[in-house]
Amino acid sequence: MEYLVHTVVLVSIYAVQAMSLNLLIGETGLVSVAQAAFAGIGAYAAVVLMTIMGVNFFVASLIGALAAGTVAFIVGIIFLPLRQVYYILGTVGFNVIAWSVFLNWNEVTKGSLGIAGIPRPVVFGYALSENAAFLVLCLVSVACVYGISALITRSSLGRVLHAIREDEDAVAVFGYATTHYKVFIFVVAAFIAGYAGALFASYLSYISPTNYIVPESIFALSIVILGGLGSAHGAIVAAFLLVVLPEVLRFVGFPSELAGHLRLMSYGLILIFFMLYLPKGLFGKFRI
Amino acid sequence: MEVIIQIALNALVAGSIYALITLGFNLLYSTTRFFDLSYGAIAAVGGYIVYCLYNLLGLNLYAAIVLGILGAGALGFSCEKLIYRQLRARKASSAVLLIASLGVLLVIQSALAILFTSQFHIITRDLSAERVFTIFGGTITEVQAIIFLSAITIMLALGALLKFTRFGKAVQAIADDEEVANVVGINSEKMIGIVYFIGAAIAGAAGIATAFDTGIMPTLGLAILLKGVIAAIVGGIGNVVGGVLGAFVLAAIENTGAWFFSAEWRDVIAFLVLIAFLLLRPRGILPK
Repeated sequence: MEYLVHTVVLVSIYAVQAMSLNLLIGETGLVSVAQAAFAGIGAYAAVVLMTIMGVNFFVASLIGALAAGTVAFIVGIIFLPLRQVYYILGTVGFNVIAWSVFLNWNEVTKGSLGIAGIPRPVVFGYALSENAAFLVLCLVSVACVYGISALITRSSLGRVLHAIREDEDAVAVFGYATTHYKVFIFVVAAFIAGYAGALFASYLSYISPTNYIVPESIFALSIVILGGLGSAHGAIVAAFLLVVLPEVLRFVGFPSELAGHLRLMSYGLILIFFMLYLPKGLFGKFRI
Repeated sequence: MEVIIQIALNALVAGSIYALITLGFNLLYSTTRFFDLSYGAIAAVGGYIVYCLYNLLGLNLYAAIVLGILGAGALGFSCEKLIYRQLRARKASSAVLLIASLGVLLVIQSALAILFTSQFHIITRDLSAERVFTIFGGTITEVQAIIFLSAITIMLALGALLKFTRFGKAVQAIADDEEVANVVGINSEKMIGIVYFIGAAIAGAAGIATAFDTGIMPTLGLAILLKGVIAAIVGGIGNVVGGVLGAFVLAAIENTGAWFFSAEWRDVIAFLVLIAFLLLRPRGILPK
């Protein structure tokens, strides 16, 4: 039972991340390889507030998410106006740099040692130290983010984003400042990813820079590709499949280090396979 | 004064490795218009082949180096044939190719980690037998001098190949317009295959040089790639001479910056150089 709860918590957190990335890739056609970096910014900001200043989780995670959004704003206004390949390369580079900062800014992040003893959220004086209680918070988060993405998709904003995905030049001709829309959705996605990062940090009670390397961003990307572009529920199903997959590898009896490498390798294979044979993913509405 | 000479020598060695990567990357990009993110991982494979054959199996060093270069070339050729060519035949967008190349990156990187662990490896030589040259108070090891000279040789050889042979003219024609090149009887698929082999072999040479100079680990591929692409952008993307110039400029800025701050911030400095160029001079020093 405890194990099942643990799995569902992980699925929920990755689903939140993937839904935020889906707003970018699925709804707006913007591939991003920096979701792990934004999760890391959110996580580190929230963790520093919680462990050093004793700030409540909900305030700290909000500030963490805002920090991720602010950095995304700066990254976005630099890279989003550029041609697509430069922009994607910029996100990859940004993730490498964010990781390098987490690793080397010893005064704040404690470098490769990481930060331990991160407290669980406290609701009305009751700490969510039981995983089952924490699960409720995760499910509420999934529901909220699902709601937010449904809201964005169905609004007039969502229609502009879809139009940018189909033909950005045509949208620009109609007088829309497409870069503003792209920066906006980039910031929203980073905000949600930052919150997911804070949630993850609080759940594990320990973070280190290796949680935020480029392959983790590619992992988020493969969840979205597997689930299908433009499909929030696809992202949830795919998060479930891809979180359970490594558990299966461990059950089969691979040692955990080998299982970790096989996990990353299988994400790579999924990306190649789906790009070759099923670019729409499982529940996708369109192909890039 | 001696510090300046030493920085210049370090920049020359680092720059020649970056220049190799940039050279191969520019060759591939100008021929296929495809941002291949798996390119750095192929470089790492070259380094690992030499490490495996020479250090672990005790093969002759020169034979190991030749096999490393050929092995990297063959890997690049196979990736092109099995994945990228199929995608191009389906008129896939550049984002699809890019995502597939991320998948390839992840697969190669985790395969290397499974075979050789995630630890750092350096190709060990008999350090006591190695000569050290002193130039105006700065020092350079024999291996570094060989790396610099080999890089210059490879650059000149590739330049001559592209400029003076029928093959070079055919590649130029494909880069200008693939369809027209087909019409006048150039087998573009075959040519792109050869270009991939050469480009990947050059990457392999750069990976081997890195393995000798500073050592390699599975994740190094991405770092090498970023440096190469940043150098390409600094020099003017698609411009072969500009790319080489960009590589040395990047290495000079990086090494000066690393001396002012500290070596850990090297990657961050390179990324700032990228941002500065994208904002101020997006077409590079020598635009094409």
